[in-house]
Amino acid sequence: MIAQQLINGVMLGSIYVLVGVSFTLAIGILNFLNFSIPGLFMIGGMVSWVLLTQGWHWAAAIGAALAAAALVSLAVEQLSYRRTRGADPEVPLVSSLGFLVLLENLVLVGVGSDQQTFPSLLGDFNFRIGGLVIGAAQAISLVLTFALVVGLSFVLGRTNLGRQIRAIAESRSTAVLLGVDVGRLVPKIFVLTALFTALGGVMFALSYLQVSPFMGEGVGFKGVAAMIIGGMGSVWGAVIGGLIIGLIEVGSIWAFGADTVNIAVYGSLLLLLILRPHGLFGKPAIREKL
Amino acid sequence: MSGYQTGVLIILCFNIMAAYAVYLPLVAGQLNLGIAGFMAIGAYTAAYLTNEMGWSLVSAIPAGGLAAGGLALLVAVPILRTHGIYLALATFALGQVISAVFLNLEVVGAAAGYPVSTYASPLAVFSVTAAIVLFVVGLSQTRFTLYLTAIKNDRLVADLLGLKVWGLQVAAFTLGAAIAGIGGGLYAHHFSFIEAQHFSVQLSIYTVLYVLLGGTQTVWGPLVGALFFSLVPELLRAGEAWRYVIFAALIVAFMAVRPQGLVTSTALRGIGRLFGRKPAAPGAQP
Amino acid sequence: MSAKAPLLALDNVSKSFGGLRVIRELSFSVARGQTVGLIGPNGAGKTTAFNMVSGVFRPDDGTVSFDGRDITNMASRRRIGLGIARSFQNVRLMQHLTVWENLLVGQHVRASGLLNLLTPFRLIPNHRWRREVVAALDEMGLGGYADATVSELPYGIRKRIDLVRATLAGASLLMLDEPAAGLNPVETQALTAHLEALKARGITLLIVEHDMHFVDKICDHVVVLNFGSKIAEGPLSVVQHDAVVRTAYLGAEQAA
Repeated sequence: MIAQQLINGVMLGSIYVLVGVSFTLAIGILNFLNFSIPGLFMIGGMVSWVLLTQGWHWAAAIGAALAAAALVSLAVEQLSYRRTRGADPEVPLVSSLGFLVLLENLVLVGVGSDQQTFPSLLGDFNFRIGGLVIGAAQAISLVLTFALVVGLSFVLGRTNLGRQIRAIAESRSTAVLLGVDVGRLVPKIFVLTALFTALGGVMFALSYLQVSPFMGEGVGFKGVAAMIIGGMGSVWGAVIGGLIIGLIEVGSIWAFGADTVNIAVYGSLLLLLILRPHGLFGKPAIREKL
Repeated sequence: MSGYQTGVLIILCFNIMAAYAVYLPLVAGQLNLGIAGFMAIGAYTAAYLTNEMGWSLVSAIPAGGLAAGGLALLVAVPILRTHGIYLALATFALGQVISAVFLNLEVVGAAAGYPVSTYASPLAVFSVTAAIVLFVVGLSQTRFTLYLTAIKNDRLVADLLGLKVWGLQVAAFTLGAAIAGIGGGLYAHHFSFIEAQHFSVQLSIYTVLYVLLGGTQTVWGPLVGALFFSLVPELLRAGEAWRYVIFAALIVAFMAVRPQGLVTSTALRGIGRLFGRKPAAPGAQP
Repeated sequence: MSAKAPLLALDNVSKSFGGLRVIRELSFSVARGQTVGLIGPNGAGKTTAFNMVSGVFRPDDGTVSFDGRDITNMASRRRIGLGIARSFQNVRLMQHLTVWENLLVGQHVRASGLLNLLTPFRLIPNHRWRREVVAALDEMGLGGYADATVSELPYGIRKRIDLVRATLAGASLLMLDEPAAGLNPVETQALTAHLEALKARGITLLIVEHDMHFVDKICDHVVVLNFGSKIAEGPLSVVQHDAVVRTAYLGAEQAA
């Protein structure tokens, strides 16, 4: 049974990985705790659900959902990030929280607050390996998640785009001096995080067959936890963080019941923030220079 | 006053208390994203004391405030060593944990909720709110609030000028939590029923949003933010979801165009001059 | 302490940042009542030396002592209470506060204690802290600016207010980081007069400055740094003919 729980934990964790990676990209590169990310996650799931119920082909529906998330993310870039640079540090965070509330309630106005059943695109197919059950959708999510993260770390590490992104993460002014066109690169980063997040939303919908206007909160906030556990700004840290959160969640449900999930997940997060605020893999900040 | 009007005013009072609970630490630049958790501590502590221990309201509600403040002090000591985003996230996590703990705590009803037998009248709610507003406004005229602003502006220089940055931040955070606890205690006894689900992330987030909408530069901003959040939806009479759509859109617009919020210190000084209040320094011409 | 003991002494102080040695075995002292100029090309380590005296950084090696007391590892917050106040190269006033609020924060070490902290003194007309701030501003000819928000003021004014704030701590040692930089000749003259007045009150000054005419007018003694080491020390008139100093400056094209 333990092996099955481990598998379930990793499956669940892979959803947190995608959201955690989005959070970590936003904070690591742009120093922006982007709380609109849970909203983008929800857009991914809800828009594809709406379009599927309208009879769209699954590929078109998912593509349109990703595009919708990317567009919203560009609006976040314009309003919550670009316009608030130089304001008090909490302003971008609060503005992105405003976006989250806005997105949730807009969708609520459109489709109501009920939990909706997501059509099962992959049927009821399961892999069975020696007594262990692995849902096809979850297995696909897991593989896709890792493919995406490997792809992302290739882009960041080996390509010209990645070099430019790392230059911004290091220091915005240095990046400008090095000739990086920050004004054009930043929107690309927002689109990238939106695609990651919304794909997470789609995969969540495919795996757990349910969507709602508030589906982003539970998952999105655990994505924040994944980011912190891994150390803000570290992509592979967020991957491990996401898996750890998935395991803690499944473990606490198994051991103590569903009501204790938040105590276990956020309790560990709180403990980590107290004992090792820079996460398991991050570096502590140095004192500001005059 | 009609029952409806009293009801609206009561909501306004609870929102004002929550607003000042968020405002005090925010003056020093500390974002508390878990204020609902501290309200829950106050609510459950006070309710338990009147229900099970036979305490009176007059002692149970301050005890709720003390419990919330005490917990804040306990967690502030380790988590305020970090600051900025880490602090906001730690308060966020704490709010989640507190709410989840009460959801599982059988002694106060767990998920079924907790009925409260002692009743706090609207008058009690109004007077406590007035006292809290007076307290925070009075505090805004002291060096304490000035120092908090100084810390937010430039932490390092504040330290070099001799301010106990960390101590002041702990004090602001604890005071804010205590106000939230008092508000929570009153809430429990006015509505005679509490459930853990009420003290949610959303409650914390909305409070932060309307405080920022009002503005944190002056002590009046949170009051205006709470007024706005409580009364404008009543005036609009729109559906519940539309209220939040409009409110959230306003927040996004404000943060983009006027991040300092509705009420700014410059605007207040302008109003002061308008009403013929002498500029504080003779011959000042900024 | 004996009268001869220096007010401030750095003894063999070194500091590195990420392998780069910014200060190398630096020793110098400032006597009570003296006005010392700390000069040298850009990047010589002058501001780092200031930061170690005010406690922003701890030296890797060596000791800093003040009034005969080892303060090398003392918390930065406590140093202003001993009598070490400073201004900042890039004017670190609290931007969103008014001038008088900034100056009130500057008074803090003399206004500590819970009673001072919690008195709603803004409600009391003509409170003594307020009067003191207004008087200090008037003395500098800045009386009209008390209620202005710092971010709305021109650089020259902010620079002088930064200096007023540093003086309000009642410190015996004032460290000024490029007080004349960016000032026009009239403002520089006003600054010189103000510093002379501080000297007359017996306040010890340690000044980082590039304007050599200004240093010549104000300082009794200069310490010349280059690449984190002291290369010369003495009265400016003597030091400026020193061959090593001339090379350092001309080499770095920083001759004033």
